[in-house]
Amino acid sequence: MNLLMSRDDLIHWLELLMRERILLAPTRVQGLLLFQPVSKVEDIAFDFDNTTLPPKGWFLPPTETLFSVRRGDGHTELVPATVEREAVIFGVRPCDAKGIALMDNPFLEEPGDTVYGERRARTALIGLSCRQAMPECFCTSMGSAPDDPSHVDILLTEVEDGYIVRAVTEKGKALLPQGLAEGEAVLPAPPKPQAVPAEGMVSAMRDLFSEPYWELLADRCLHCNVCAYVCPTCYCFDMRDYPDKGNIERVRSWESCQSPGFTRLAGGYNPRATKGARLRQRFYHKLLYFPEQFQDIACVGCGRCVKACPVNIDIREVISDLQQLGAKSGS
Amino acid sequence: MGLENPFVPYLATLKSAVELTPDVKLLSVELTDPAIQAGFDYKPGQFAFLSAFGEGEAPFGIVSLPQRKDGLEFAVRLIGTVTRALHELEPGDTLGVRGPFGNHFPLDDYKGKDMVIIGGGIGMAPLRPVINTILDHRNDYGKLLIINGARTPQDLVFAPEFKTWMEAPRTKLELTVDRGDERWSGRVALVPDVVREVSPSPDNAIAITCGPPIMIRFTLTVLRELGFKDPQIVTTLEAKMKCGMGKCARCNVGEKYVCRDGPVFTMEQISQFLEQP
Amino acid sequence: MDSELIQQIQNQARDLLESGAVKGIIGYERASDGLTARPFFAYEPSAVERLIFDETCTHNLVKYLLDKKNEKMAIVVKPCDSRAINLLLNEEQIKRDMVFIIGVYCPGVVETAWNRKGQTQQARCQTCELLKPVVYDFLAGQEPVRRPEAELYSDILEMEAKPVAAKRAFWVEHFGHCIRCYACRQVCPGCYCPECFAEQLDPSWVGIRIAPKENELWQAIRTFHLVGRCIGCNECERVCPVDIPLSLLNRKLEKEVKELFAFEAGLSPEEQPPFATFKKEEKLGLEE
Repeated sequence: MNLLMSRDDLIHWLELLMRERILLAPTRVQGLLLFQPVSKVEDIAFDFDNTTLPPKGWFLPPTETLFSVRRGDGHTELVPATVEREAVIFGVRPCDAKGIALMDNPFLEEPGDTVYGERRARTALIGLSCRQAMPECFCTSMGSAPDDPSHVDILLTEVEDGYIVRAVTEKGKALLPQGLAEGEAVLPAPPKPQAVPAEGMVSAMRDLFSEPYWELLADRCLHCNVCAYVCPTCYCFDMRDYPDKGNIERVRSWESCQSPGFTRLAGGYNPRATKGARLRQRFYHKLLYFPEQFQDIACVGCGRCVKACPVNIDIREVISDLQQLGAKSGS
Repeated sequence: MGLENPFVPYLATLKSAVELTPDVKLLSVELTDPAIQAGFDYKPGQFAFLSAFGEGEAPFGIVSLPQRKDGLEFAVRLIGTVTRALHELEPGDTLGVRGPFGNHFPLDDYKGKDMVIIGGGIGMAPLRPVINTILDHRNDYGKLLIINGARTPQDLVFAPEFKTWMEAPRTKLELTVDRGDERWSGRVALVPDVVREVSPSPDNAIAITCGPPIMIRFTLTVLRELGFKDPQIVTTLEAKMKCGMGKCARCNVGEKYVCRDGPVFTMEQISQFLEQP
Repeated sequence: MDSELIQQIQNQARDLLESGAVKGIIGYERASDGLTARPFFAYEPSAVERLIFDETCTHNLVKYLLDKKNEKMAIVVKPCDSRAINLLLNEEQIKRDMVFIIGVYCPGVVETAWNRKGQTQQARCQTCELLKPVVYDFLAGQEPVRRPEAELYSDILEMEAKPVAAKRAFWVEHFGHCIRCYACRQVCPGCYCPECFAEQLDPSWVGIRIAPKENELWQAIRTFHLVGRCIGCNECERVCPVDIPLSLLNRKLEKEVKELFAFEAGLSPEEQPPFATFKKEEKLGLEE
């Protein structure tokens, strides 16, 4: 027996939620699928595979003001950003939810990013199990699954007449509408994404740092920021001051280790001047440094980078190549 | 204010800006909130971000010592947009201080040892509080050898303090420049060559070096030739930084974050890094 | 897939590598989806068997020549791509004797994305008048059958006819999606400034904010930096992860340059782009 919600129940519940909080949901915009605040249920795309950009942008926006510098009468005041409202994100795939949980590691570790932490505390995640695996998906090889409830507050799984509802956290339980009935519906078998064997990869990587592989792979890399920006777990950022209506704002924006000037110091010295060194950094951060620091690979197998990379640098191929190189070198 | 959100700096007032060289100023700041100022504790090797509001912030090694009560001091070299804005500040102006961050020189572990301090140019900045700690606790340490080089005599950063250093017991100061001038009667040689010439003994010694990458590279070779082992050679790394607290993943050298695992490292540690700085 | 064409490319590539005439070949191979193509660098004769050419080879590989200035490379180019070579030769970014150009008689390419192959030719192919590259050392393939005609600039004319408010709304929406990944800039052979204006701090023309006003400034200035230089490969539009129709901007200005200066970029390595040229005899229109 499972808790059930009909399609109508869901719509009514979402309407209720959007009155009290900011409700973000996948919406179709000019052929893109983006998480946006919605004010009408009609704007929600219920039938989708996955969004163009992951929901990480709610917790780490492409641009935000960390604090304002207000000056007047010889007196300066720093006004930090605050989180105003409660929010709910509907339609989060388990892979993307895991991405957010992975980002918690650097952001909430002492000293914690208080604004990020508050957004996390004030946002509930309503997950949606995947009905099918896309050709680019490989979540099960990266510690997630199409029906993994681990990192959401509520997980909905579509069945014939509606959804099976699982409240995963106390926050989720408190969010559910009243009067949900139990029913006979059974959890369907989850789809099977392609497997990308990754055993032994993390330990093999230590020996593969100086391989010519990286400069060769980087031949076709354009060093744009697409892979990092569409990725649910990439989080590098830049900070700079800008004037805004008489005040000064300390702005934080997305940046990625791929951009040529990422590590360039004032004065011109750049320790990662070559394309191969920069490309290698992204894979090493996700597949070695992050796991060594936080005991989890910083890739959730969503496949967005596979789809979005203009020159088809495919992380699944890289993982497979690393395994083969590792086997050859005997690690 | 700055206590809760680690991205928000403490407000500070510039007390004085002294020109040390044509492009280096010694900025002395006082945190505006007396309670925060009183509680701001740090050790040699640590750094803090200075915010020139309107431009941005950048990391600088702290060159003062809390025990000396001379104020919170930074040696800022003019090199980019933020440093230019910092150089344009006048005493009384407001700036931001975020920190302290990073690890520190384990000077307690070096008690009883002979200390060899080798600095080039602005690299002397993080070494100055090391020297001053040794001078303030002179009997806790063995011999002190300071080798300080710069491009020209005008670029020797802490010239006003040389007399004090030279006059301390069991202390030698060897100065050198790449290019002399009419008034310079001292040594004209590269720092690594001076290290070779002076030839400090590695027995029970620690060598701490900081300067331009090329100077460190050749100094390292000489120190190893002289018999210094990698655990005895200490340096402080520089990297482009943004958050300073191990979050933004910009300053990493391989798996190590310069802001959090460093900036102080021994050569033994650095030689084991996956990525070389 | 034209296997004869591919054989010719592979044979030429193999000869060049075996003789040591070039360090490497920049061409295309099959992508990880088994369906489309991706750039491929062959450095050994044994690798040339991976070289392909078909209707999914939409990528403009000329940008890569700027990363390989110190080595002589061979490159596979379609007619549109070859115009970019002329642009770079004219702007003295590459040397003619440092590149061996394997030109391809191109019958046109389709829209591609990962694991997606379009059924009809790209709009730019339908209006393309070049059947073979404008500069080459070796020509592979056969003169293709004339491609279907389509009206050049029909979408530009449609856009020009819209009221300003509608045009504004169109671009505000699209630029609002821009995440400043700079893929458009990175893929473009005409964008090669060591320090892009967008990354300058002093002065800060655009800044780091990823927000509508800044995005508009970024897109507008990049477009203007390409006036009279854009050769119309449409790579910028292909690589954009949020589907901004960038080719509309570039082709609008391409149309203006044609009308005002009777000039098309990249047709010859000698002709200077109008905005990079000043001739003393040109009237500035000040006295009249």
